[in-house]
Amino acid sequence: MKKNSPLKMIITLSVTAIIIGGLLSGFYKLVYPQIEANRIAEEKIAIFTVLPEAKDYDIVEYEILSKKKGTEIVQIFRGKDENGDLMGFAFVAAGPGFQGIIKMMVGLNLEKTYLEGMTVLDHMETPGLGDKITFDFFLDQFKELRISPSITYIKNVKPKHDNQIQTITGATISAVAIVKTLNKKIAIILELLAGPPGKLKVVAEPAAVAVPAAVAVPAAAVAVPAEGKGK
Amino acid sequence: MAKKTLTYEFVKGIWRENAVIKMLLGMCPALAVTNSASNGLAMGLASTFVVAASGLMVSLIRRIVPGGVRIPTYIIIIATFVTLAELFLKAYLPDISKSLGPYIPLIIVNCMIMGRAEFFASKHPVTPAVVDALGTGIGFTWVLVVLGAIREVLGSGSIFGFAFLGEKIFTPWVVMVLPAGAFLSLGLMIGVINYFTLRKRRAA
Amino acid sequence: MDSMIQIMLIFISAAVVNNFVLAYFLGICPFLGVSKKTDTALNMGFATTFVMVLTAAISWLINNLILLKYNLPFLQNVTYIITIASLVQLVELFVRKSSPSLYRSLGIFLPLIVTNCAILGLALFSALREYTFVQSLFFGLGAGVGFTLALVIMAGIREELEFADVPESLKGAPITLLVAGMLALAFMGFAGLISA
Repeated sequence: MKKNSPLKMIITLSVTAIIIGGLLSGFYKLVYPQIEANRIAEEKIAIFTVLPEAKDYDIVEYEILSKKKGTEIVQIFRGKDENGDLMGFAFVAAGPGFQGIIKMMVGLNLEKTYLEGMTVLDHMETPGLGDKITFDFFLDQFKELRISPSITYIKNVKPKHDNQIQTITGATISAVAIVKTLNKKIAIILELLAGPPGKLKVVAEPAAVAVPAAVAVPAAAVAVPAEGKGK
Repeated sequence: MAKKTLTYEFVKGIWRENAVIKMLLGMCPALAVTNSASNGLAMGLASTFVVAASGLMVSLIRRIVPGGVRIPTYIIIIATFVTLAELFLKAYLPDISKSLGPYIPLIIVNCMIMGRAEFFASKHPVTPAVVDALGTGIGFTWVLVVLGAIREVLGSGSIFGFAFLGEKIFTPWVVMVLPAGAFLSLGLMIGVINYFTLRKRRAA
Repeated sequence: MDSMIQIMLIFISAAVVNNFVLAYFLGICPFLGVSKKTDTALNMGFATTFVMVLTAAISWLINNLILLKYNLPFLQNVTYIITIASLVQLVELFVRKSSPSLYRSLGIFLPLIVTNCAILGLALFSALREYTFVQSLFFGLGAGVGFTLALVIMAGIREELEFADVPESLKGAPITLLVAGMLALAFMGFAGLISA
């Protein structure tokens, strides 16, 4: 403890850094499969929650281009009933809420006219107020909610239209943020689904999102073959 | 230095030198995650693991590390154990990992842990260092669980997620699970403990 | 200008609505320890704000240019804390050389900042929310302003508390926590600011 030569200090810190680097990456490799499995399990439960009649699903990936983030992979989960027939679509929508990002799984019916359901995957809203967005009384409003024209919201009174939800007292911001995020994402998903199903496809962000038009890049996205992940 | 028994080193962290209520260390997690008893328990146990493991390491290497880089080395060791705990929770207890969120990595800057490493583990052999850390960790855990239980009962009408007060007979005091409730309940808790300590001292 | 509005929202949200101290419980230690005199609190607040903005910038660069690129998320905690510790050291050296008078007023607080959870919290939160570089900067600035605000208000109240007749058992930390609770309630009122 007496000698403080710079060399000794540098050696100590480097050795520590190497050891912990190795230790951490080893442990990460060890637990990563489990973390990934948790994520997929959670995704699966969420998909079956928002598409209650689905028994199985496969994943289609699209590559979209936006000015802000560059290329971005969008996954659409295609729900299937017991006969293996297509019965609806599910997708993840994420956007800024009151405190952090709110991430949701959204179910859409086969005719693309209304939502089958919505569930919140991740959020950082205030406990006791904003976290009411995860409560059934709020989420149930998204069942059979029409998406055309785009979803609207109303405060303090029962919704008057079948494309309208009622916000939460004390958590208006969170509820409004959800509606905005959903409308944005639904517009993108509809654009994607308008193309041939399961085909390779590249799209620019649709005009509805009000982002300056982006340039399309050559097709690179791959349609993942059905893996029979459900069940 | 007077020879102190292991039992003494263990017990002092639980009450007499309790990190939260007596030393006012580790306040961030104590306030942030105690909106339910189970969150408090998880945070307490994770911190106990980190304080004990880093106490062990710091005590092991106390003769090797040069004085000039003592603190950085300790911080790296603590950060490593915190990351291990974080990955473990993510893999095997995903629900708890979700509800504690970014407050798990923030264990790194819990002054309680740095305090034990710097003032105790770096000056003592392995056994007392670990025993002292365990005592500190358990002392921290019980305060978090009690605080979490108080806030959960009053704020959500449940305990450990079990709703024993129905919505009909009890209107939850939402403020208790909000940030303000954290400050108020911890303040009152320390106040009550001080009250009884003072009364005992006066009686003696 | 969607992005401009978003940046303002991030700033206001970090500064008042979701005040780092009163809503996220970050930086409680200096909040309870240092805030006894308004001018000390103000200096501490400035020093912290400065380090926060720097941390926001550097941790963003590390996260996006190194950690995410090479898929090393498990090194986030370690690298952030090392960055913060070295940053504070560098700032201290720099301030001592370049401006002795500033050093006299800020210097003693700098070492304390390393263990201020608000700084690490800032780095972690902005990574978690996937902010862009500019957004991170304003997040850091907002958090710093919010921290300073909470610290100065608290110090002002505590100066007055000196003359109040506080019950024996509530003296010190308990009464500070209770006051902080009231402040947190008051700050909740800012929630309406963003509803537009």
